Amino acid sequence: MLLLTFRDLVYRKTRFIVVTVLGAVVFALLFVMTGLVNQFNLEPAETVEQFDADQWVLPEGVSAPFTSVSLMPAATLDAVDAATKSPVVITRSSVSDGGTPEEVVLVGFEPGGLGAPKVVEGRVPEAEGEVAVGRTLDVDVGADITVAGEPFTVVGLTDKTTVLAGIPFAYLTLPEAQILAFTSTDVISSVLVSGELGALPAGLTSLSSDEVIDQTLQPLEGAIASIDLVRALLWIVAAIIVGAVVYLSALDRQRDFAVLKAVGASNTSLLGSLALQAVLIALGAVALAAVIQVFLAPQFPLPVTVPTSAFWQLPLLAVVMALAAGAIGMRKVLRSDPSQAFAGAGT
Amino acid sequence: MTVGPLTVTDLVVEFVHDGYAIRPLDNLSFQAQAGELVVLLGPSGCGKTTLLSCVGGILTPTSGTIRLGPTDVTGLKGADLDAYRREEIGFVFQAFNLIPSLTARENIAVPLILTGHGRKESFARADELLEQVGLSERSGHLPSRLSGGQMQRVAVARGLGHNPLLLLADEPTANLDHIQAEAIIRLLQGLRDDGRMIVVSTHDSRLVPIADRIVQMVPPDQHEERPTHDITFSAGESIFEQGDPADLVYVIKSGNVDVIRVLADGGEELLTKLGADQYFGELGPFLGFPRSASVRAVSDVVLTAYSPRVFREKVLHKT
Repeated sequence: MLLLTFRDLVYRKTRFIVVTVLGAVVFALLFVMTGLVNQFNLEPAETVEQFDADQWVLPEGVSAPFTSVSLMPAATLDAVDAATKSPVVITRSSVSDGGTPEEVVLVGFEPGGLGAPKVVEGRVPEAEGEVAVGRTLDVDVGADITVAGEPFTVVGLTDKTTVLAGIPFAYLTLPEAQILAFTSTDVISSVLVSGELGALPAGLTSLSSDEVIDQTLQPLEGAIASIDLVRALLWIVAAIIVGAVVYLSALDRQRDFAVLKAVGASNTSLLGSLALQAVLIALGAVALAAVIQVFLAPQFPLPVTVPTSAFWQLPLLAVVMALAAGAIGMRKVLRSDPSQAFAGAGT
Repeated sequence: MTVGPLTVTDLVVEFVHDGYAIRPLDNLSFQAQAGELVVLLGPSGCGKTTLLSCVGGILTPTSGTIRLGPTDVTGLKGADLDAYRREEIGFVFQAFNLIPSLTARENIAVPLILTGHGRKESFARADELLEQVGLSERSGHLPSRLSGGQMQRVAVARGLGHNPLLLLADEPTANLDHIQAEAIIRLLQGLRDDGRMIVVSTHDSRLVPIADRIVQMVPPDQHEERPTHDITFSAGESIFEQGDPADLVYVIKSGNVDVIRVLADGGEELLTKLGADQYFGELGPFLGFPRSASVRAVSDVVLTAYSPRVFREKVLHKT
């Protein structure tokens, strides 16, 4: 069976190479789409985790800190019953390094408090005119940029701090962020709490970090559903490609199968040969796709993080898909009549 | 190697094609013995391949029996039929039917492997057979790099893979020049001399001299020239039936006839009505085919019956 399969693959190599490459392009897109959805799901969790908060105290009616405008008096901090708590400002702003301004989430924090950035290069801002920004803004430590039109110097870089499909963060000390956002140091956006949180005064509510993550992901649900639909369509295209080549192969080899059946070969062994061919094409396409996606993913404007699980799930699904798609061709084998081995009955 | 006699008794094969029943084999009977080379002789369309398919157990006849020694081939089903094909019969198909992606050696070995023989054993057998058919030096070549005669020899070797008792060869010398055909004929002779029974379908008369038995698929004297004569039929009487051997062409002197096609379900389809000075039944005798329709007298009719040659000269060319 193996010999029959491999020899046929070699004999029709041009067709199989073309189909494998076509399949690989489709599977590479599937890898990237999977990576995009994965990144959408990972992004809020990674970002929220860096705030080190168990609870987020917000004014009632505010759905989440990154998706709604949240304002509360700075004095609210005193009314929050918790051992470890920090005020933060979270608002939308823009930064520019001289080129086109880029939208950012502006975070004001108390140095040493909850919500302070975890810099991976440089240091945490401590003084006026200092800012830490996400790596995706592509600026270096020491660079001069503007935040909401005001000059700042980049003193640190953070990683994995984006929300809403790639909007990066800019961290300032709390007073500077308050002035930039609200022109007043009497206003904050939220109180971050670590550990136990006592009863809240009227007009305030709290969200757990998991709730914040879920709420942050909500605006992207439509985008994720759309990508899932595209993924489903790509699977169908892949199935059509593999199914078509297996069907063509079955058509081409109908006489061969009839001859082998006539000499006593079982349906199982012949089906096995065709099924193996389908599986090999699918696996070859996935292997090539795994290489193509390495070059394709960076071309996407959004971060793409292909999960490790995709590298075994995709081949597994591809094998199942190849067998299902090849079923029509395999049915052709089952139905091939050994009498076709002769020139044709009736002659 | 011994094989019991091959006995074919009253074999009928009927196909339904486009709603019409076609009967390529109609009550065929013959017997052949072990060590004989049997030639099924006849023109295209006379049922030679159909007969081979029935004997090989890959086509079930409509009625009749085929026995190979003690085995009632027509009574075999499922796994027993597969085993019969796998163990007792060797096939040499028309147009070679080698698998194009496999080398000559693999074409012989792969069917053996697929039917449960060991890989090493199968390739050893392939080498042995290639040597027997004189193609050892071509064992690694794909069919596309072999001549017609070489491909046919590989096909014969493949048919011999499991050392069958009965070798069925369909037109083994078709499309071969006389040198290649001679090599195949010599090969078949040698295989027959080993005690194997070989049944060959062909319309190649070069095989006739080496045959131990010839089965004429079309009666040889059916085209014997008969004198022109008048013949009368009463209303409702059948002039000839669909599937009858065709020998004469008829011109209607007086009266009317219906030309009817008998359908597979037993029904009838009126093809045409004919009257005085019209003729019918010419294609069968010209082409050597059986009657493709029945003709029935609608009224009392008088017909003039011609042999095909006389009809061509006196009626066709005259008109």
